[in-house]
Amino acid sequence: MKTSAVISLFALLACVFFSNAYAAKDRYEFDDPAQREVFLKLTAELRCPMCQNQNIADSDAMIAQDMRRKVFRLLQQGKSEQEVINFMKSRYGDFIYYQPPVTIGTIWLWLLPVTFAVIALALLVFRKKQQRVDNSAEKLAQAERILNQDKQ
Amino acid sequence: MRKITLLSLPLIGFCLLIVFLYKGLFSDPRALDSQISNQPVPQFTLPDLLDSNITYTPDVFKNKVTILNVWGVWCITCAIELPYLTQLKETQNVRFVGLYFDQDLDPDFGEKSLPQIQQEVKTMLSKYGNPYEFNIFDIARETALDLGVTGAPEHFLIDKSGVVRMHHVGDINERVWQNKLKPVYQTLLQEPDRRFSGEN
Repeated sequence: MKTSAVISLFALLACVFFSNAYAAKDRYEFDDPAQREVFLKLTAELRCPMCQNQNIADSDAMIAQDMRRKVFRLLQQGKSEQEVINFMKSRYGDFIYYQPPVTIGTIWLWLLPVTFAVIALALLVFRKKQQRVDNSAEKLAQAERILNQDKQ
Repeated sequence: MRKITLLSLPLIGFCLLIVFLYKGLFSDPRALDSQISNQPVPQFTLPDLLDSNITYTPDVFKNKVTILNVWGVWCITCAIELPYLTQLKETQNVRFVGLYFDQDLDPDFGEKSLPQIQQEVKTMLSKYGNPYEFNIFDIARETALDLGVTGAPEHFLIDKSGVVRMHHVGDINERVWQNKLKPVYQTLLQEPDRRFSGEN
Protein backbone atom coordinates (compact mmCIF):
# COMPACT_ATOMS: atom_id res chain seq x y z
CA MET A 1 0.00 0.00 0.00
CA LYS A 2 2.72 2.36 1.06
CA THR A 3 4.99 1.57 -1.88
CA SER A 4 2.21 2.17 -4.34
CA ALA A 5 1.59 5.55 -2.76
CA VAL A 6 5.28 6.42 -3.08
CA ILE A 7 5.31 5.26 -6.71
CA SER A 8 2.26 7.31 -7.58
CA LEU A 9 3.82 10.32 -5.88
CA PHE A 10 6.94 9.90 -7.99
CA ALA A 11 4.83 9.49 -11.11
CA LEU A 12 3.02 12.68 -10.26
CA LEU A 13 6.27 14.55 -9.67
CA ALA A 14 7.65 13.19 -12.94
CA CYS A 15 4.57 14.47 -14.74
CA VAL A 16 5.05 17.91 -13.24
CA PHE A 17 8.73 18.05 -14.09
CA PHE A 18 8.67 16.61 -17.57
CA SER A 19 5.37 17.98 -18.84
CA ASN A 20 7.18 20.88 -20.44
CA ALA A 21 9.78 18.73 -22.13
CA TYR A 22 8.29 18.61 -25.58
CA ALA A 23 8.44 15.15 -27.08
CA ALA A 24 9.42 16.33 -30.53
CA LYS A 25 12.49 14.40 -31.51
CA ASP A 26 12.46 15.19 -35.17
CA ARG A 27 14.43 18.26 -36.15
CA TYR A 28 13.11 20.93 -38.42
CA GLU A 29 15.36 23.64 -39.70
CA PHE A 30 14.13 26.98 -40.88
CA ASP A 31 15.93 29.58 -42.94
CA ASP A 32 13.45 32.20 -41.88
CA PRO A 33 13.15 32.82 -38.10
CA ALA A 34 9.65 34.22 -38.59
CA GLN A 35 8.58 30.93 -40.17
CA ARG A 36 10.03 29.09 -37.22
CA GLU A 37 7.87 31.22 -34.92
CA VAL A 38 4.77 30.34 -36.94
CA PHE A 39 5.71 26.64 -36.79
CA LEU A 40 6.10 26.75 -33.01
CA LYS A 41 2.84 28.65 -32.62
CA LEU A 42 0.92 26.28 -34.89
CA THR A 43 2.21 23.09 -33.30
CA ALA A 44 1.22 24.50 -29.91
CA GLU A 45 -2.28 25.43 -31.09
CA LEU A 46 -3.13 22.33 -33.10
CA ARG A 47 -4.57 19.52 -31.06
CA CYS A 48 -3.53 15.90 -31.44
CA PRO A 49 -6.59 13.89 -32.55
CA MET A 50 -5.25 10.68 -31.03
CA CYS A 51 -4.10 11.79 -27.60
CA GLN A 52 -6.67 14.41 -26.82
CA ASN A 53 -5.80 17.37 -24.64
CA GLN A 54 -2.26 17.40 -25.94
CA ASN A 55 -1.07 19.68 -28.68
CA ILE A 56 0.91 18.20 -31.54
CA ALA A 57 4.15 19.75 -30.30
CA ASP A 58 3.74 17.94 -27.02
CA SER A 59 2.55 14.59 -28.33
CA ASP A 60 4.64 11.63 -29.34
CA ALA A 61 1.85 9.84 -31.17
CA MET A 62 2.51 8.90 -34.76
CA ILE A 63 -0.29 11.12 -36.00
CA ALA A 64 1.23 14.09 -34.16
CA GLN A 65 4.60 13.43 -35.80
CA ASP A 66 2.92 13.28 -39.19
CA MET A 67 1.06 16.48 -38.52
CA ARG A 68 4.21 18.31 -37.44
CA ARG A 69 5.90 17.15 -40.61
CA LYS A 70 2.92 18.30 -42.66
CA VAL A 71 2.85 21.70 -40.96
CA PHE A 72 6.56 22.07 -41.71
CA ARG A 73 6.10 21.11 -45.36
CA LEU A 74 3.15 23.42 -45.84
CA LEU A 75 5.06 26.33 -44.33
CA GLN A 76 8.03 25.54 -46.57
CA GLN A 77 5.65 25.69 -49.51
CA GLY A 78 4.82 29.24 -48.47
CA LYS A 79 1.40 28.55 -46.95
CA SER A 80 0.16 31.06 -44.40
CA GLU A 81 -0.74 30.25 -40.81
CA GLN A 82 -4.46 30.36 -41.58
CA GLU A 83 -4.02 28.14 -44.63
CA VAL A 84 -2.33 25.48 -42.52
CA ILE A 85 -5.14 25.66 -39.95
CA ASN A 86 -7.73 25.32 -42.72
CA PHE A 87 -5.81 22.38 -44.18
CA MET A 88 -5.95 20.53 -40.87
CA LYS A 89 -9.58 21.52 -40.22
CA SER A 90 -10.64 20.16 -43.59
CA ARG A 91 -9.22 16.77 -42.58
CA TYR A 92 -9.86 16.51 -38.86
CA GLY A 93 -12.62 19.05 -38.24
CA ASP A 94 -12.84 22.07 -35.96
CA PHE A 95 -11.69 19.87 -33.11
CA ILE A 96 -8.11 20.03 -34.34
CA TYR A 97 -7.70 23.70 -33.48
CA TYR A 98 -7.85 24.80 -29.87
CA GLN A 99 -9.82 27.97 -30.61
CA PRO A 100 -13.42 26.91 -31.29
CA PRO A 101 -15.26 28.78 -34.03
CA VAL A 102 -18.42 30.67 -33.06
CA THR A 103 -21.35 28.71 -34.48
CA ILE A 104 -24.95 28.07 -33.45
CA GLY A 105 -23.68 25.06 -31.55
CA THR A 106 -20.88 26.81 -29.68
CA ILE A 107 -22.34 30.30 -29.15
CA TRP A 108 -23.93 28.94 -25.94
CA LEU A 109 -20.53 28.75 -24.32
CA TRP A 110 -20.59 32.53 -24.19
CA LEU A 111 -24.34 33.18 -24.10
CA LEU A 112 -25.36 30.80 -21.31
CA PRO A 113 -23.25 32.32 -18.51
CA VAL A 114 -24.40 35.83 -19.50
CA THR A 115 -28.09 34.81 -19.63
CA PHE A 116 -27.75 33.06 -16.31
CA ALA A 117 -26.21 36.13 -14.69
CA VAL A 118 -28.90 38.41 -16.12
CA ILE A 119 -31.73 36.14 -14.96
CA ALA A 120 -30.23 35.78 -11.50
CA LEU A 121 -29.81 39.53 -11.17
CA ALA A 122 -33.36 40.20 -12.37
CA LEU A 123 -34.74 37.63 -9.91
CA LEU A 124 -32.78 39.18 -7.07
CA VAL A 125 -34.07 42.70 -7.77
CA PHE A 126 -37.64 41.47 -8.34
CA ARG A 127 -37.75 39.49 -5.12
CA LYS A 128 -36.34 42.31 -3.01
CA LYS A 129 -39.04 44.67 -4.24
CA GLN A 130 -41.76 42.15 -3.58
CA GLN A 131 -40.50 41.46 -0.08
CA ARG A 132 -40.66 45.14 0.86
CA VAL A 133 -44.31 45.43 -0.27
CA ASP A 134 -45.27 42.19 1.45
CA ASN A 135 -43.69 43.29 4.69
CA SER A 136 -45.51 46.60 4.96
CA ALA A 137 -48.87 45.01 4.22
CA GLU A 138 -48.26 42.40 6.86
CA LYS A 139 -47.22 44.99 9.42
CA LEU A 140 -50.31 47.05 8.67
CA ALA A 141 -52.54 44.06 9.22
CA GLN A 142 -50.75 43.27 12.47
CA ALA A 143 -51.16 46.84 13.70
CA GLU A 144 -54.82 46.78 12.87
CA ARG A 145 -55.27 43.53 14.75
CA ILE A 146 -53.63 45.02 17.82
CA LEU A 147 -55.79 48.11 17.55
CA ASN A 148 -58.90 45.95 17.28
CA GLN A 149 -57.84 43.97 20.33
CA ASP A 150 -57.43 47.18 22.31
CA LYS A 151 -60.89 48.32 21.36
CA GLN A 152 -62.57 45.23 22.75
CA MET B 1 -49.15 29.62 -7.74
CA ARG B 2 -46.38 31.92 -8.88
CA LYS B 3 -44.30 30.88 -5.97
CA ILE B 4 -44.52 27.28 -7.11
CA THR B 5 -43.31 28.17 -10.59
CA LEU B 6 -40.48 30.19 -9.12
CA LEU B 7 -39.49 27.40 -6.76
CA SER B 8 -39.64 24.75 -9.46
CA LEU B 9 -37.16 26.65 -11.63
CA PRO B 10 -34.09 25.22 -9.89
CA LEU B 11 -35.68 21.77 -10.06
CA ILE B 12 -36.19 22.12 -13.81
CA GLY B 13 -32.62 23.34 -14.16
CA PHE B 14 -31.41 20.38 -12.15
CA CYS B 15 -33.39 17.93 -14.29
CA LEU B 16 -31.97 19.46 -17.49
CA LEU B 17 -28.48 19.14 -16.04
CA ILE B 18 -29.14 15.49 -15.18
CA VAL B 19 -30.29 14.77 -18.75
CA PHE B 20 -27.23 16.56 -20.15
CA LEU B 21 -24.78 14.73 -17.91
CA TYR B 22 -26.54 11.39 -18.40
CA LYS B 23 -26.18 11.72 -22.14
CA GLY B 24 -22.52 12.54 -21.56
CA LEU B 25 -22.06 9.12 -19.95
CA PHE B 26 -22.64 7.47 -23.30
CA SER B 27 -20.89 9.92 -25.56
CA ASP B 28 -17.48 9.00 -26.86
CA PRO B 29 -15.06 11.92 -26.60
CA ARG B 30 -12.84 10.20 -29.15
CA ALA B 31 -15.54 10.16 -31.79
CA LEU B 32 -14.74 12.99 -34.17
CA ASP B 33 -16.96 14.23 -36.93
CA SER B 34 -15.45 12.72 -40.01
CA GLN B 35 -14.71 15.36 -42.60
CA ILE B 36 -14.26 12.84 -45.41
CA SER B 37 -17.81 11.47 -45.34
CA ASN B 38 -19.59 12.13 -48.64
CA GLN B 39 -16.36 13.41 -50.15
CA PRO B 40 -14.52 11.66 -52.97
CA VAL B 41 -11.40 9.73 -52.02
CA PRO B 42 -8.43 12.14 -52.15
CA GLN B 43 -6.05 11.82 -55.07
CA PHE B 44 -3.13 9.45 -54.66
CA THR B 45 -0.61 7.50 -56.68
CA LEU B 46 0.81 4.77 -54.51
CA PRO B 47 2.50 1.42 -55.07
CA ASP B 48 1.29 -2.03 -54.17
CA LEU B 49 2.61 -3.19 -50.84
CA LEU B 50 3.94 -6.48 -52.11
CA ASP B 51 4.85 -5.50 -55.65
CA SER B 52 6.28 -2.00 -56.14
CA ASN B 53 5.81 -2.23 -59.91
CA ILE B 54 2.06 -1.92 -59.57
CA THR B 55 0.69 1.59 -58.96
CA TYR B 56 -2.77 2.49 -57.73
CA THR B 57 -4.88 5.62 -58.08
CA PRO B 58 -8.45 6.26 -56.83
CA ASP B 59 -9.56 4.50 -60.05
CA VAL B 60 -9.35 1.21 -58.14
CA PHE B 61 -12.66 2.10 -56.46
CA LYS B 62 -14.48 2.41 -59.77
CA ASN B 63 -17.82 0.61 -60.05
CA LYS B 64 -17.24 -1.50 -56.97
CA VAL B 65 -18.34 -1.05 -53.38
CA THR B 66 -15.16 -1.24 -51.34
CA ILE B 67 -14.16 -1.19 -47.72
CA LEU B 68 -10.79 0.51 -47.46
CA ASN B 69 -9.14 -0.85 -44.35
CA VAL B 70 -6.30 1.13 -42.77
CA TRP B 71 -3.98 -1.27 -41.02
CA GLY B 72 -0.43 -2.35 -40.16
CA VAL B 73 1.31 -5.36 -38.69
CA TRP B 74 2.15 -3.34 -35.58
CA CYS B 75 -1.56 -2.83 -34.87
CA ILE B 76 -2.91 -5.42 -32.44
CA THR B 77 -6.61 -4.74 -33.03
CA CYS B 78 -5.99 -5.25 -36.75
CA ALA B 79 -4.73 -8.76 -36.04
CA ILE B 80 -7.86 -9.44 -34.03
CA GLU B 81 -10.25 -8.31 -36.77
CA LEU B 82 -8.42 -10.03 -39.67
CA PRO B 83 -10.14 -13.42 -39.20
CA TYR B 84 -13.57 -11.78 -39.14
CA LEU B 85 -12.83 -9.66 -42.21
CA THR B 86 -11.63 -12.79 -44.01
CA GLN B 87 -14.86 -14.50 -43.07
CA LEU B 88 -16.87 -11.56 -44.46
CA LYS B 89 -14.92 -11.74 -47.68
CA GLU B 90 -15.47 -15.46 -48.03
CA THR B 91 -19.13 -15.68 -47.02
CA GLN B 92 -20.50 -12.36 -48.25
CA ASN B 93 -18.00 -11.48 -50.94
CA VAL B 94 -17.15 -8.13 -49.37
CA ARG B 95 -14.35 -6.33 -51.22
CA PHE B 96 -11.60 -5.24 -48.88
CA VAL B 97 -8.68 -3.12 -49.98
CA GLY B 98 -5.90 -2.46 -47.50
CA LEU B 99 -4.27 0.90 -46.96
CA TYR B 100 -1.08 -0.11 -45.29
CA PHE B 101 1.29 2.18 -43.47
CA ASP B 102 4.26 1.49 -41.30
CA GLN B 103 5.59 3.26 -38.29
CA ASP B 104 9.10 3.78 -39.55
CA LEU B 105 9.10 7.29 -38.16
CA ASP B 106 8.58 5.96 -34.71
CA PRO B 107 11.85 5.98 -32.76
CA ASP B 108 10.91 2.74 -31.02
CA PHE B 109 10.59 0.87 -34.27
CA GLY B 110 13.27 2.46 -36.36
CA GLU B 111 13.70 2.27 -40.10
CA LYS B 112 12.63 -0.95 -41.70
CA SER B 113 13.50 -2.12 -45.16
CA LEU B 114 10.72 -2.84 -47.63
CA PRO B 115 11.46 -6.62 -47.89
CA GLN B 116 11.34 -6.79 -44.13
CA ILE B 117 7.90 -5.15 -44.04
CA GLN B 118 6.67 -7.37 -46.88
CA GLN B 119 7.82 -10.48 -45.02
CA GLU B 120 6.04 -9.36 -41.84
CA VAL B 121 2.85 -8.69 -43.80
CA LYS B 122 2.95 -12.10 -45.49
CA THR B 123 3.50 -13.84 -42.18
CA MET B 124 0.66 -12.01 -40.52
CA LEU B 125 -1.80 -12.57 -43.36
CA SER B 126 -1.02 -16.28 -43.55
CA LYS B 127 -1.49 -16.55 -39.82
CA TYR B 128 -4.78 -14.64 -39.38
CA GLY B 129 -6.31 -14.72 -42.86
CA ASN B 130 -6.10 -12.42 -45.84
CA PRO B 131 -9.28 -10.47 -46.63
CA TYR B 132 -7.57 -8.05 -49.01
CA GLU B 133 -7.88 -7.96 -52.77
CA PHE B 134 -4.65 -5.97 -52.65
CA ASN B 135 -2.82 -3.57 -50.34
CA ILE B 136 -1.96 0.03 -51.13
CA PHE B 137 1.29 1.08 -49.48
CA ASP B 138 0.93 4.58 -48.07
CA ILE B 139 4.67 5.15 -47.80
CA ALA B 140 4.72 8.64 -46.32
CA ARG B 141 1.28 8.33 -44.66
CA GLU B 142 0.10 11.28 -46.70
CA THR B 143 -3.07 9.62 -47.94
CA ALA B 144 -3.92 8.52 -44.41
CA LEU B 145 -3.59 12.15 -43.33
CA ASP B 146 -5.77 13.30 -46.23
CA LEU B 147 -8.41 10.78 -45.19
CA GLY B 148 -8.37 12.04 -41.61
CA VAL B 149 -6.98 8.82 -40.18
CA THR B 150 -5.91 9.04 -36.54
CA GLY B 151 -4.72 5.46 -36.05
CA ALA B 152 -5.46 1.90 -37.00
CA PRO B 153 -7.71 0.11 -37.66
CA GLU B 154 -10.01 2.47 -39.49
CA HIS B 155 -12.43 1.69 -42.31
CA PHE B 156 -13.83 3.71 -45.17
CA LEU B 157 -16.92 2.47 -46.91
CA ILE B 158 -16.55 3.68 -50.50
CA ASP B 159 -19.35 3.62 -53.06
CA LYS B 160 -19.20 2.78 -56.75
CA SER B 161 -18.38 6.34 -57.72
CA GLY B 162 -15.40 6.58 -55.39
CA VAL B 163 -17.11 8.64 -52.68
CA VAL B 164 -16.53 7.83 -49.02
CA ARG B 165 -19.93 7.11 -47.52
CA MET B 166 -18.92 6.04 -44.05
CA HIS B 167 -15.84 6.38 -41.89
CA HIS B 168 -15.64 3.80 -39.14
CA VAL B 169 -12.92 4.20 -36.52
CA GLY B 170 -12.03 0.97 -34.73
CA ASP B 171 -12.35 -2.67 -35.61
CA ILE B 172 -15.13 -4.48 -37.43
CA ASN B 173 -16.68 -7.29 -35.46
CA GLU B 174 -19.98 -9.13 -35.69
CA ARG B 175 -21.89 -6.44 -33.76
CA VAL B 176 -20.42 -3.48 -35.66
CA TRP B 177 -20.93 -5.20 -38.99
CA GLN B 178 -24.56 -6.14 -38.35
CA ASN B 179 -25.59 -2.82 -36.79
CA LYS B 180 -23.51 -0.19 -38.47
CA LEU B 181 -21.77 -1.20 -41.67
CA LYS B 182 -23.87 -3.91 -43.25
CA PRO B 183 -27.06 -1.83 -43.69
CA VAL B 184 -25.14 0.94 -45.47
CA TYR B 185 -23.04 -1.55 -47.42
CA GLN B 186 -26.14 -3.22 -48.76
CA THR B 187 -27.79 0.01 -49.86
CA LEU B 188 -24.56 0.93 -51.65
CA LEU B 189 -24.64 -2.40 -53.49
CA GLN B 190 -28.16 -1.56 -54.72
CA GLU B 191 -27.04 1.75 -56.18
CA PRO B 192 -26.56 1.78 -59.95
CA ASP B 193 -23.13 2.36 -61.46
CA ARG B 194 -22.63 6.04 -61.62
CA ARG B 195 -20.20 8.41 -63.18
CA PHE B 196 -16.94 8.06 -61.33
CA SER B 197 -16.00 11.10 -59.26
CA GLY B 198 -12.51 11.09 -60.71
CA GLU B 199 -13.82 11.63 -64.24
CA ASN B 200 -14.78 15.09 -65.33
